[in-house]
Amino acid sequence: MTGATELHTEEKRDITLRVYRFNPQVDSKPYFDDYTIQIEKGITVLRSLNYIKEHVDASVSFRAFCQAGICGSCGMRINGISKLACTTQVWDELDKCREPGIIKIEPLRNMPLIKDLIVDMDPLVDKMKHYSNWIVSSMPESRMGMKEFLVSEEEFQKYDKATDCILCASCVSECTILRAHKEYVSPAVLLKSYRMNVDSRDAIHDIRLGELVKDHGVWDCTHCYRCQETCVKHIPIMDAIHGIREDALEVRGVKDTSGAKHAEAFMADIEKKGKLVEATLPIRTNGMVWTLQNLLPMAMKMIMKRRTPPPPPLVKQTKGIKKFRELFREMTEHVKDEQQSHKK
Amino acid sequence: MKRYAYYLSCINESMTKEVDRSIDLWQKDLGIELVKLHESTCCGGSNLEYVSPKHFALVNARNIALAEKLGLDLIVSCNTCLMTIRTAKKKLDESPELRKEVNELLKKDGLEYKGTSNVRHLLWVLADDIGFDAIREKVKVPLKNFRIAPFYGCHILRPSTVLGKDDPLDPTTLDQLIEALGGTTLPYEHKNRCCGFHTLLVAEEESLNVAAEALKDAIDISADFIVTPCPLCHTVLDGYQSKALRQANIQKSIPVFHLSEMVGLALGYTEKQLGIKRHIVS
Repeated sequence: MTGATELHTEEKRDITLRVYRFNPQVDSKPYFDDYTIQIEKGITVLRSLNYIKEHVDASVSFRAFCQAGICGSCGMRINGISKLACTTQVWDELDKCREPGIIKIEPLRNMPLIKDLIVDMDPLVDKMKHYSNWIVSSMPESRMGMKEFLVSEEEFQKYDKATDCILCASCVSECTILRAHKEYVSPAVLLKSYRMNVDSRDAIHDIRLGELVKDHGVWDCTHCYRCQETCVKHIPIMDAIHGIREDALEVRGVKDTSGAKHAEAFMADIEKKGKLVEATLPIRTNGMVWTLQNLLPMAMKMIMKRRTPPPPPLVKQTKGIKKFRELFREMTEHVKDEQQSHKK
Repeated sequence: MKRYAYYLSCINESMTKEVDRSIDLWQKDLGIELVKLHESTCCGGSNLEYVSPKHFALVNARNIALAEKLGLDLIVSCNTCLMTIRTAKKKLDESPELRKEVNELLKKDGLEYKGTSNVRHLLWVLADDIGFDAIREKVKVPLKNFRIAPFYGCHILRPSTVLGKDDPLDPTTLDQLIEALGGTTLPYEHKNRCCGFHTLLVAEEESLNVAAEALKDAIDISADFIVTPCPLCHTVLDGYQSKALRQANIQKSIPVFHLSEMVGLALGYTEKQLGIKRHIVS
């Protein structure tokens, strides 16, 4: 066998795509179908699925359109991770297979299933509507078309990355909290909301922010970073989530919601003690009644095991706290000065 | 003896004292010395960053500068402290203006952030500085009868732009440590997933659902115990376990060990010495 032939055979292999199948109108439960086809190096998962649909089994259902990572239609879980089939190379997936040579293809999570690899995007669209994921122009209708809206480079930088979102819903599928509660706003909607709220042309910032801080909104994110890590466009989604929170604290104050109170407690404790006073954190976040109702049984268990956090007077101040506090407060003055100059 | 500066995490000073207690027992056995930074402050626990980005930078520049003053790397044994301090370091290293502003203040405390000390998790020191082969040779009581479910926690993995040691969606370092200690590591879906800690006080139902799913997964693969390098994950998976499993209508339970306790067990220390008896689930 010549070197060239060896290379040729090396670059072509029999590979199995193990595809999730479920037609709720016919099937009593989901199952997997294995399709073993010869695939060349350089072929994407989407092209492999297209081949299967055209030549092996026309009943396999999936969404796809642009084949170039632009339209966001072909989001699916490939070897357990949500991504686009059209930008995923079969070869790159081979070393991620649980069983050698078998690539597992499943529908996105956290959305209702329609059939096989097709999920219902309507709940996501409904959330985008609920949180007004569009610009409501601040320009009076009578002035429209008469004047340009100029956006500065500095402003554009704030949402440049966020506008890369193609709504493929990979982040939605990977979201920890959405899996725990289907009413959660979801990362894609937070990203869009942030993008609209930092746009100077928008007129409903405060209304949108008011919705975002309610239950199942921005404070419910658990900072797992799965959305950001699996974003097919590498958008720093957590920056947007932090951005909304920072905005909420500034505009609505630090006593607005339990999320805001919880976050602010860190700032207060660091200034006062240099350390977090964990014993009173639940009370400061949710009040005494909630704490007694929710945490008393566990607190008893913790007392038995001597793992309760110390009461505030017994939390030792950090060594050198006095000097540290001076620096901390001086930084507070810096921040105030900056905010003043921004307002001017 | 290799020396490191050791960051005192708030939770290890209060609820999970067994973490530092167990590390104190075995650090010399593995040829390392951790110098505790009693002047370090709370990192802000992944919250300060958006409450006040400037204070976040100041506080953590100071934490790192304390280690730099000793000429040592800063070692952390809480995932969230690790991610938080490394995030601040990245911002400081990327912005000369921020560094200048912060250093003007730190100067008044005889400190300077230079960017010379690395910020690393204790697990990374075990893996990269001591090495699994050397650890294997030190094992006195191999964990050979244990089937162990590694639970990495989020903030030792993600965001990978800040952490970068392991594949954020397919990590192996903790698995390798388990094997070096003679145990059997088990594959399961939740090993790189979230414990729900950071929303416990804000969205408790959701958090407990998250924890219950992880616990159920480990129970379903018949693991003898879960091990985690993060005291916050431990607090949920151990402390809130009965509440989470009750909410999910699951009758079983599973012990959860800290990374430092698992190492201690393999090095011959007793459960009592390591503080394992302080856990809620036994």
